[in-house]
Amino acid sequence: MRIGSYELKLEKRGTLSNWQAASISILAIIFALALFSIIFILAGINPLSAYREIFSFAFINPYGLPPTINRFIFLLFCTYAFIIPFRAGLWNIGMTGQLYAGALGAFAVLFAFGGKASLSADLSLEIVIPFMLIAAALGGAVPGAIAGFLKGKYNINEIVVTMLLNFIIFWLVSFMIKEGGPFMNPGGRGESFELPPSVYAPLINNVPFTIFIALGLAVLIYFLFAKTKIGYQIRAYGQNPAAAEYAGISPFKIPLLVFTLGGAIAGLAGYHYFAAVPGVYKIARNYGFFGDLAFYGIICGLISLGNPIAAIPVALLFGGLSVGGRYVQGKLSMSFGLDYALLGVLMITLVVFQFFYRYKIVFIKIGKERTDVGVLR
Amino acid sequence: MKPPEEGQVQKGPLKGIKRGETVLEARGITKRFPGVVANDQIYFEIKAGEIHAVLGENGAGKTTLMNILFGLYQPDEGEIFIGGKSVKFRSPLDAIDMGIGMVHQHRKLIPAHTVIENIILGHPSAGKILNINRAGDEINELCERYGFHVDLKAKVWQLSEGEKQVVEILKTLYRGAEVLILDEPTSALTPIETEKLLTSIEAMSKDELAIVPFITHKLPIVLAISDRVTVLRRGKVTARLDTKDATEKSLAMEMVGREVIFRIERTRVERGKPILQVENLSALSDKGVLALSGVSFSISEGEIFGIAGISGNGQRELVEVIAGLRNPEEGKVILDEIDITFSSSLERWQRGMGYIPCDRIDVGSIGDFSLVENTTMNYYFDDNYSRYGIVDYKKLRKLTEEIVSEYGVATPSPDTQAKTLSGGNLQKLILARVLSRKPRLVIADLPTQGLDVGATEFVRNKLVEAKKGKAGVLLISEDLDEILSLSDWVAPVYEGKLMDIIPGEKVKREIVGAMMAGLHLEGEET
Ligand SMILES: Nc1ncnc2c1ncn2[C@@H]1O[C@H](COP(=O)(O)OP(=O)(O)OP(=O)(O)O)[C@@H](O)[C@H]1O
Ligand SMILES: [Mg+2]
Repeated sequence: MRIGSYELKLEKRGTLSNWQAASISILAIIFALALFSIIFILAGINPLSAYREIFSFAFINPYGLPPTINRFIFLLFCTYAFIIPFRAGLWNIGMTGQLYAGALGAFAVLFAFGGKASLSADLSLEIVIPFMLIAAALGGAVPGAIAGFLKGKYNINEIVVTMLLNFIIFWLVSFMIKEGGPFMNPGGRGESFELPPSVYAPLINNVPFTIFIALGLAVLIYFLFAKTKIGYQIRAYGQNPAAAEYAGISPFKIPLLVFTLGGAIAGLAGYHYFAAVPGVYKIARNYGFFGDLAFYGIICGLISLGNPIAAIPVALLFGGLSVGGRYVQGKLSMSFGLDYALLGVLMITLVVFQFFYRYKIVFIKIGKERTDVGVLR
Repeated sequence: MKPPEEGQVQKGPLKGIKRGETVLEARGITKRFPGVVANDQIYFEIKAGEIHAVLGENGAGKTTLMNILFGLYQPDEGEIFIGGKSVKFRSPLDAIDMGIGMVHQHRKLIPAHTVIENIILGHPSAGKILNINRAGDEINELCERYGFHVDLKAKVWQLSEGEKQVVEILKTLYRGAEVLILDEPTSALTPIETEKLLTSIEAMSKDELAIVPFITHKLPIVLAISDRVTVLRRGKVTARLDTKDATEKSLAMEMVGREVIFRIERTRVERGKPILQVENLSALSDKGVLALSGVSFSISEGEIFGIAGISGNGQRELVEVIAGLRNPEEGKVILDEIDITFSSSLERWQRGMGYIPCDRIDVGSIGDFSLVENTTMNYYFDDNYSRYGIVDYKKLRKLTEEIVSEYGVATPSPDTQAKTLSGGNLQKLILARVLSRKPRLVIADLPTQGLDVGATEFVRNKLVEAKKGKAGVLLISEDLDEILSLSDWVAPVYEGKLMDIIPGEKVKREIVGAMMAGLHLEGEET
């Protein structure tokens, strides 16, 4: 392409610095929001005021901010559950199942401590919550480990296995919490029994303590890949499995390890949403919603290129837009599904803009003895 | 290529150009990469019907120049002329349109597809109405004309390296290439395959195709078949001459800038304890057939044990079993008196194995990793380089700097990605990384492939040095000169069996050559 005496050219990038990646992503977000304004304009709404509503509700409003933060924490766990296998070149799309398995683990602990019997059961927070966290992680780790084992031992496609496990776990959850199930709600609403208030997760400024676990994981995972032996082995396996095997890295242990870790982290997402978010405190029955939300973990992981620190702002944005989008949909009485459409456009734009992670546009001043672009015949 | 049928019009740049006239000319080509000038004001020309060799040390810029001629890279400066007209390639598609074809240093075929599918894939008429039988006839005609033999219905993964090379060439010819660029076409080929290929190359050049084969280290081949030679050194053209005016010595001199000694002094080292004992080893290949049967030998401290053979005779399976990457069907592997037949490969590394694999791209290195991280491949498990599960990348960076300078790996920094290294420089990095561990047992599978004469000499001396340091060396090579000049024991291998084990000083070249072709075996069997 030519503009004046300049030529526009696409060129392959050598390396991409973190700052370059960040600025490309920010450009993509601005582009996506601009693109989505068409929807508002078509509905006769000023897009700028719509966005003001969305962002101020999601990030400032006292009713909007807490759900944003809770979804952000949830998404961050799901993102890390995706990222760890992803760095080993493997795809975990079973976060939904794993987080429900984690939730079952956490509620099994409550069940064992007699939490089902009565809401006024006086359980010791210091004892029960650590057990619930461990059980949630273990619960998520089990389906993860199954996928990892099958991949490592028999090279069975991990995408298929994690997806199929999602279905199995759905039915298992359903069995446990529906009428007659061991975890059923005495009221019989197709939900699990409720958490006794004595073991509600501690809140700091209305934010569940799980945020510290999530942010702590960011640092830990960053450190894991940047410095440790295990992190090196995972990355080597992810880049070139044959070379990794040559170097003595076990093609069995790595898939098993990454899926077990990923599943465990997804399990914590289950604990977070069903046992730590104020107002929930039970295994909810709207599976679909959590499935969709967990799915954005994949998108956040891909956009942040597997970098756990970069995943933080991305997850925050997605969490906020899902809350703010739903809000303006109601407030401006727009049609149903606005929030999903907004997230979808954002997701597609971010993925398309990843093209610029690999290519850059350069301007070349065309010299006097100009050479035509293309092939001269 | 000439029209397969009478009456068909020849298209492309060679139309009307007669033998001896310039087809392609590159003027003032400059290409810079971060930290290196890979091509520096290069002038290069090819004439119709000539075989033009491009020579140069590892990293001299040969592949870069060819990639520019093929449109893979855009030059920073300079111009390309075809048939006297200036052209600019935005991508290889433009180059292919102009009749330029390239066979890369590394194969790029789809293993699960058949030969014919690979050949027609990406052809302009593929996707439109495509008559596979007619395509087959046309390809067979090409084969006949140039003396290629390959089963069009075979799957690519079943082919030998030489056959794959033929498929790559057929693919470019079928697309109408009239200038054929071959980047190190013989480096992965057996001697017999090489000979066949060279005959075909000569047949093609008689058809007025211009050919640039590109043989860095095999100077005798250059002298035997090329018409002209262009020599590059550090990105610049240092010589352009008619092959008849050149000798092996003069070419080496132009390439390296100093005289190269082609001989290695043979040293005897006092033989020590046995390091590696292999007893009655049998193993299956990936295809599930017996590829190695009843192999026994032993290597002691201070010995180089050379396995001479054409690749595909069980060398790969033997090496992988010893390295712990393949389970044997039968037999034992003993390292330093410990049975390691079923130990993990990690344990073998820790016990002092040092393995130089023959596949440097897919097995020996990780392209997206930096050189430091590539060095880490053989050090992450070493307690001197990691502590409490944390890798000491600082120390590894220093180590990488040291081995890079010792082995002369041309690179701007140890933090560059391995995939930007030239083929030979990557090979040097792998050798350096493994040998720097001072292994007890060195397994060297085609250690000098793709290395220039200077680097080959250097690496062979390094193997001798390892032997002097009381290591045992298992050397796998197709190059008889390499085997004969280095080995204390020579074992010709044929169809998975060792034909004999002959002491180095008693070896006769002809006998080993015959055994590699399986001749001795026939008399013995039945
Ligand atoms: N994509 C790239 N990015 C950065 N540097 C590169 C790239 N490709 C090549 N180089 C550098 O350019 C120089 C020339 O490389 P090139 O591959 O052309 O060498 P070569 O002559 O083909 O060597 P060999 O005989 O080892 O294959 C080397 O120093 C190499 O590291
Ligand atoms: Mg090269």
